[in-house]
Amino acid sequence: MNWATLNLMPALPELFLLSAVLVLLVIDMLLDDERRGVLYGLSLATLAGCAAMQYLAWTPVPVETFQKMFVADPLSGVIKFFLYGVTAAVLIYTRQYVADRQMFKGEYFTLTLFALLGMNVMVSASHFMTLYIGLELLSLALYALIALRRDSVPATEAAMKYFVLGALASGLLLYGMSMVYGATGSLDIATIARVIASGNGNTVLLVFGLVFLVAGLCFKLGAVPFHMWVPDVYQGAPTAITLMIGSAPKLAAFVFLTRILGQGMEALLSQWQGMLMIVAVLSMALGNLTAIVQTNIKRMLAYSTISHMGFLLVGFLTGNAEGMSSAMYYAIIYVLMSLAAFGVLLALSRAGFECEKVADLKGLNQRNSWYAFLMLLAMFSMAGIPPLAGFYAKFAVIRAAANAGMVPLAVFAVLMSLIGAFYYLRVVKAMYFDDAEEDAAIEVRADMRLVLSLNGLALLALGVLPQQLVALCMTAVKQSLTSL
Amino acid sequence: MSFTTVVFYILSAILLLAAFRVITAKNPVHAALFLVLSFFTASGLWMLLESEFLAISLVLVYVGAVMVLFLFVVMMLDIDIEKLREGFWKNFPLAGTIAIIMAGEMALILGSPEAGLHTYPARAPLSADFSNVRELGVLMYTRYMYATELASVVLLLAIVAAIALTQRQRKDSKAMNVSEQVAVRAVDRVRIVKMAAAPVDTAATDEDQPQA
Amino acid sequence: MLTLTHFLVLAAILFAISVLGIFLNRKNIIVLLMSIELMLLAVNCNFIAFSHYLSDTAGQIFVFFILTVAAAESAIGLAILVVLFRNLRTINVEDLGSLKG
Repeated sequence: MNWATLNLMPALPELFLLSAVLVLLVIDMLLDDERRGVLYGLSLATLAGCAAMQYLAWTPVPVETFQKMFVADPLSGVIKFFLYGVTAAVLIYTRQYVADRQMFKGEYFTLTLFALLGMNVMVSASHFMTLYIGLELLSLALYALIALRRDSVPATEAAMKYFVLGALASGLLLYGMSMVYGATGSLDIATIARVIASGNGNTVLLVFGLVFLVAGLCFKLGAVPFHMWVPDVYQGAPTAITLMIGSAPKLAAFVFLTRILGQGMEALLSQWQGMLMIVAVLSMALGNLTAIVQTNIKRMLAYSTISHMGFLLVGFLTGNAEGMSSAMYYAIIYVLMSLAAFGVLLALSRAGFECEKVADLKGLNQRNSWYAFLMLLAMFSMAGIPPLAGFYAKFAVIRAAANAGMVPLAVFAVLMSLIGAFYYLRVVKAMYFDDAEEDAAIEVRADMRLVLSLNGLALLALGVLPQQLVALCMTAVKQSLTSL
Repeated sequence: MSFTTVVFYILSAILLLAAFRVITAKNPVHAALFLVLSFFTASGLWMLLESEFLAISLVLVYVGAVMVLFLFVVMMLDIDIEKLREGFWKNFPLAGTIAIIMAGEMALILGSPEAGLHTYPARAPLSADFSNVRELGVLMYTRYMYATELASVVLLLAIVAAIALTQRQRKDSKAMNVSEQVAVRAVDRVRIVKMAAAPVDTAATDEDQPQA
Repeated sequence: MLTLTHFLVLAAILFAISVLGIFLNRKNIIVLLMSIELMLLAVNCNFIAFSHYLSDTAGQIFVFFILTVAAAESAIGLAILVVLFRNLRTINVEDLGSLKG
């Protein structure tokens, strides 16, 4: 191997992030508890640095490095910018919450950044090995983050459940990967795609492996029938960590799905399309119908996540550029919506009080009309009410499905989004039409107030003017998945 | 039947039996020991497939480190085994049947002529001076350098996470921190509080005096 | 004459046993973790068998990384188990009453 030709430029953000994590680990050791806030500032600075590096490393065409183990393309570039932004927002939203609950330790920041590194690796992986290691880096960090609140029984239980089911999903995924390896003789995604397209692959093994791959992917996405962990983990984990699980990893999971099915197994579209269609229909139906009866808002949002993953799959399974880019847009908007919704819950929680029940939001409008309005934006957007971003996202995936000739699926998705609107409106009713049961002052740090407000308004802005982001997603998908 | 085939069947039988005992053993310590046996047997099978390095690392890493960790945890936690196994055999017939059907289906798919597994040619015999360790080592530090680096990050993450989760300050520890003790200043230890002098009740004082 | 089928069928049976183990030992987390190790062993056998019959070393390298990651995974899994046990004094999943699926 020639070291002189090793191009590290595309991996600049990852290298910077890894170095920063190592430095933070050392700095953490030198700090005493009163000055732990320094890490908060340094973590945000790291994220800003990553974004700057990402800007330097930006490439309009796919570039491979590390002997084709790593790929930098517009898809990964765009998603990574959002990953940094979302992680920064998560840190800002959770600052006070973790400080109130003895979780404000150095490990909270280093594990979060490790998870981000894992997501970055997944997003830029062009080889099964790096996909797997990136996924595990993310998952292991998340398991540990949930259990970080060591004295909380629900949190440790949730960590254990997430761990067992996550490990099972990894096992299924690996079994599928081994079959694909056997059928094509390669672990490299581009080579796999080439072998399958040329018809030289062993079809029986491929389809056999595909079943396991789809099952493993659905586990990770939290789609029905592999969704059992989602409500338990969302409810049991501390709200700060629920926010972390429910936001950025969904973006990484979307790219993970795209890399394996969209790029590697593209020639088997007719095979995985049917499987994903069943998963999408079940997810939308079960997610929306079960969410109606929930009284715990974290659990309700978990079922809503399941249904959103169903909608994302509706766009994805068309297998064409329009569908994939609409699914990417949906993933981004979904993450912004759940950031806003959980952000308000975090703002309402305080030391010794967890805002977890729908009833805890009663009369929020009287207590603080601005947070009520932000929650209203998030709920209306999730319900798909125009002119909010969630409406356009749903519209885009449904249109993509209809254009691809899947009219019954599109009609079903419309029906489900109508049913889904009901439980979101229940939250809005509690906030605006019920009387407040308590009048504790809502104290929120200034940085969180600012970012949360911007977050909520972004949902409005992206709903009114979606074109820019839609066009960005379209270019990213078209430039990165060259076969489309 | 050639010699390797006989070895394969013997090792497979031991492996499957040990694996079955892992999931049905009453005592978690026995389960862990059967897991050691399965790993050891699997490593023998990997030798048959000429991947010596992995066979050795399976024994060293798994049997040597991971399984010891398992045994350590099993013995550290005081587990009520009887309670954990309530209803175990009640579910067994159904779950067992499903597992047998599942294994049979997978075997049928993999063994069917359509799968064409028999068409994969056996590898040509390797020359005597071929070193599997060397081959993998060279690849790992050149072609797969990026993955190797990432694996090291995963291990670092595991260290950080495991310490963050389980380390705790012992409350009953009698350890002394000498530098802290030396650095103590008098002002930190004794706080002089100014108070208004209370009027002294002379009568009460007199009463306390022992009668002369 | 040993063929690829021998090894793959063996791995498939091992995989089925591990799934059975996960279903049967839903209450007993420590054996659950062992079943997951068995599942990874089945996957590793697959990779090594393919690697041998394809005369391609990529599969063996992948197994090396799976072993590494699995070791890290069991360390974290056992750490969570210890924390859980300190909180609950049991590893019985049924006692995890606050979360019902």
